[in-house]
This record gives sequence, structure tokens and C-alpha cells, in this order.
Amino acid sequence: MTATAPGRQLAMVFDLNKCLGCQSCTVACKTLWTDAPGMEAMWWNIVNTMPGRGTPRDAFSHGGGYSDGEPVPGRFPSLAEYGEAWSFDHAATFEAQGERIPLHPTGRDGAPPEWGPNWDEDLGGGTYPNSYYFYLQQVCANCSRPACLEACPRDSLYRREEDGIILVDEERCHGYRFCAEACPYKRIYFNPVRAVAQKCIGCYPRLEAGVAPACVRQCPGRARHIDYMENRQGHPYQLVHEWKVALPLRADFGTEPNVFYIPPLSPPAFNERGEFDEANPRVPTEYLRELFGPGVDAALATIQQERETVASGGQSALMDMLISREWNDLLGPFTENPAGLDRPPAR
Amino acid sequence: MTATMLRIPAHLAAAAADLAPRGTAWTQAGEHAVPLAPTPLEAQPSAYVRTAWAARSYGTLPSVAVAAAVAGGALHVRLRWAAPSPRTGITDNNVYADACALLFPADGREAVLATMGDDRSPVEAWHWRAGTSLPFVLTARGAGTSERRPHHDLTADAAWDHGEWAVVFRRSLTAAGVPLRTGDLPFGIAIWQGANEERAGLASHTPAWLALEVPRLEGKA
Repeated sequence: MTATAPGRQLAMVFDLNKCLGCQSCTVACKTLWTDAPGMEAMWWNIVNTMPGRGTPRDAFSHGGGYSDGEPVPGRFPSLAEYGEAWSFDHAATFEAQGERIPLHPTGRDGAPPEWGPNWDEDLGGGTYPNSYYFYLQQVCANCSRPACLEACPRDSLYRREEDGIILVDEERCHGYRFCAEACPYKRIYFNPVRAVAQKCIGCYPRLEAGVAPACVRQCPGRARHIDYMENRQGHPYQLVHEWKVALPLRADFGTEPNVFYIPPLSPPAFNERGEFDEANPRVPTEYLRELFGPGVDAALATIQQERETVASGGQSALMDMLISREWNDLLGPFTENPAGLDRPPAR
Repeated sequence: MTATMLRIPAHLAAAAADLAPRGTAWTQAGEHAVPLAPTPLEAQPSAYVRTAWAARSYGTLPSVAVAAAVAGGALHVRLRWAAPSPRTGITDNNVYADACALLFPADGREAVLATMGDDRSPVEAWHWRAGTSLPFVLTARGAGTSERRPHHDLTADAAWDHGEWAVVFRRSLTAAGVPLRTGDLPFGIAIWQGANEERAGLASHTPAWLALEVPRLEGKA
């Protein structure tokens, strides 16, 4: 089945220059949505240190997506590759009675884990003094050509007309997991207790109440912008189509994602004499091209130019938008405070 | 539909007969080797599946041993097949459980097996999957359309040993669902080998209907 275009499309922009790597978004999502049985190892939102192998391990090397418009076979990485929900022997540590017993995680097999979400935290890339890293946030990108939806032989995934969010109909899903194979970003999870696929739901119940998704609202770095792409005054449209500084991740996968990234600027690298090499940024542009495509050069140049305009006392609408001194400016039409809403009883 | 059907007679057994997966009464029931073939790839409704499996083999189980019996007012059907690398449950993201199914025209007479029925003539499937305590009863009106029936009287027992599965489906002759009338009942079989990641429409199956001969019960019309 192919996905029909929705009436309007929710879009997000993540600013990699502002992400702190604090995982507040990750924890906000985890506590809100994935605390049920079978969801222990699910991280619908994840932040990975880059360059890194990602979550799951070697995240972008498992196939899926499209090549020349044709589906690319993919694989669904194992739980160990995603990172299991570890166990901790708290009792041994806290009842050690003077003996020092560190708190060690163990995997399902009882052995120390060899991988986990954001396992290579802060390893980064490059060689001193040109070491570098940045944080890459990921959620389901609610792609305009969703490989997950098109792969399902049962039409168990569908796209909401009102916002383009892709959901799994868990009553229809029989747990075949072709969707997870086909997603090139590996943002589909599998619940072994219920034997169904599960994924980021875009916090649609919050959106329907005018509240921004938890990952967006909880971001202390104000790194996330959200709006419908059809709103030409909205930040996503302005940043993607007007300023052209927000770029899709791995557009070569062919799924037309609706999450975009402001690529990271970095200071000049050092040359062998220990001097600044103004021609080469610390984060190699070639690496950023791999992630964000050929438009990254122009995007970085625009951001740098606008920064310099402000630094020299000028005004920049782009910088104002990226800074968003008024928090609600980031949130598009989703500025409702959830604390003021009637809430259903806790489960 | 009946001209070339392979016939499997259901043995009329005593109510107390041992018809567990390795039960002794199956010897009297008699067993029939039924050849299987891969389901057609071109019939898979997903372009992804057709592409991803174009160069992969599946549905390679050559045959399944079938036996049937009627006892205690219920039909018992046993499927026995080689599974040297069993997948006894879904233990990881990329682990697929062994499974099998019996397929029937939902009205007991007419349906197209190759397409899993259609809007007018659905197919009923009795589906067992390793690691689950209850089998599923599904109704399909074409490939990819099956829906699980929330309430049913079907049960299944399974045993794996000596490199093979033995699965027994058991349903009352009078329960709701496909009518289990005396005489020839068209049925088909599908087997999914979890070790080969088979699922959905990727299976070994009987390309055409077989006939299950349901015996006349004593004292019943």
C-alpha cells in the first residue's frame, strides 16, 4: 500500500547547535509512553553522540528505505543491538555492609551488556586537538513516503489525515515486523509481550489538546521547533524552505522525512602548527554531508553569516527564530500548558 | 473443486482415545504425507516483501504428515513436520516463531485457497504459533486481510521432540465457525519455518484444497 498525502503535515526542526545531550526529551517520552510490559527497551526518542554508531548499533547500515524508488531490503536489529533493558542488583550494592560493590548492569543473559542506547556517549570523532562531537536527536520522522507503512502486507500502519502522523493499528498488526525492516532509521520497535510493532506516536493526544509533544516541551535547550509545514510563517517552513538551513537526515534513504536538522557549526580546526585552519571546521563538512546531504555547505554558510551579522550589532530574523527568546515561539500552535488540562486517571 | 483432491479420512475414535500430539491413538488414525510448495511470491501484497524475498528461498518444507480423528464430538487434526531448528517462541526482535495453520472455506464449500478467499467467499484459518497458549481463528477475505475472531472454541496442543513438531488442533463438531459436516470438507495447510524468518504470506502450503473425510457418527444423521 502507498501512503496518501495528509491534509497537513506536522514537521519538526531540531537545532544541533543547541542540543545539550541531556536526554530530557528521551526521559520525557519514556515516562509518558513506554512504561508498559514489553516496552522496557523502547526509546521512541533517542539522542546519540555523533560521530557514533548510533541506536541501534550502526544505526544507518541495516537497509530499508528506497533506492531509485524501489524498496531496499532491510533487517531488524536484535534487542542486544538496540540495547536491552538492563537489570541492576540494587540489593547487593545497598546492603553491602561496608563492602564496596559497584552497581553493575546485566543483560537478559546475566552477562554485562556489550551495547546499549547511546553506548558511545561522548567518544566523538577526530584526534586531539581536533576532537569533536555533537548530539543527534531522533524520533519517528513521519516520512512522506513511509517505508514502514508501505512494507506492511496487512495495512496495519496508517497516516493521520489531520497531521501526517503515522500510527500502528495494534488490532490489525500481527507482528510480522516488515515495517521495522523497511524503516531505514530503525525507529520501529517490537513489543514481544503483545507481539505487535510500536513506535513514536508524535504525542498525538497532546497535539489534539494543543500541547506540544513531550520531547519538544521538555527540551531545556529549546532545540526543537514544531508546526505544520503548511504554515508559511511557522518555524519549520521558514527554516526548511525559506532560509534553507534545516535539512533532512539521510535524505538518500528516499523516505522524505518530516524531521529536519540545523547542522552543527564548529570552530576552525587546528593545523599541524597549532594555528587555526580557517578553511576547515572542527566537525568535518564531509561527515555532515553524509548525514545531511549536499545542502549542508550552504546551510552552514547562511547560519555563520547571520551569526556574524548579529555579532556586529545587526539584526537577523534567522537568529531570532533559532534563539526563540519567547519559549512559545518554538511550539507553533501547540502552546497549551498541559498542567492546566483535565487529565485522565493514572493507569 | 473435488475432482483431484487428496483425501484424508478422519478416523472415528473412542471418546477416551489418546489424541495428544504424541498420543497412541494416532497410530490407528493413519497418517498421510501431503506435499507442500512455496506460496507464490507474486501474490504477496507488499512490494517490500516481494523485493526483499525475491532472492531468498522460503516454503522449502517438502511435506507434512496429516492425521485426523473424530472423538468425543470433536474433530482432531494432527500436523507433524520436520523442524530441526525449532523456533519455540518470539524471543527477540528478529526471531520468528514456528507456526502452522489449517485453512477452510468459511462456508465449508467454496473459496479460492491461493488468494486466501475473497469478499464473497472468505477463508477460515486455524492458526497455531509456537509460544502461544491459545490458537487463533482468523477469517480472511484476500491476502493480508485476515482478522482474528475474539471468541472461539478451538484449542491446540503442540510438542517438539526428535527434530519435529506435532501439533493437534481440536474443535467441537458443532461449535461456531466452519461447519464440520459429515462428508468431504475442503481444507488446506500452511507451515511457517521460523528459522527461515517465514511469516505472513511466506510459507510452505498446499497449493490446492485437500479433502477431509468427516465420518458419520453413530446414531446421527
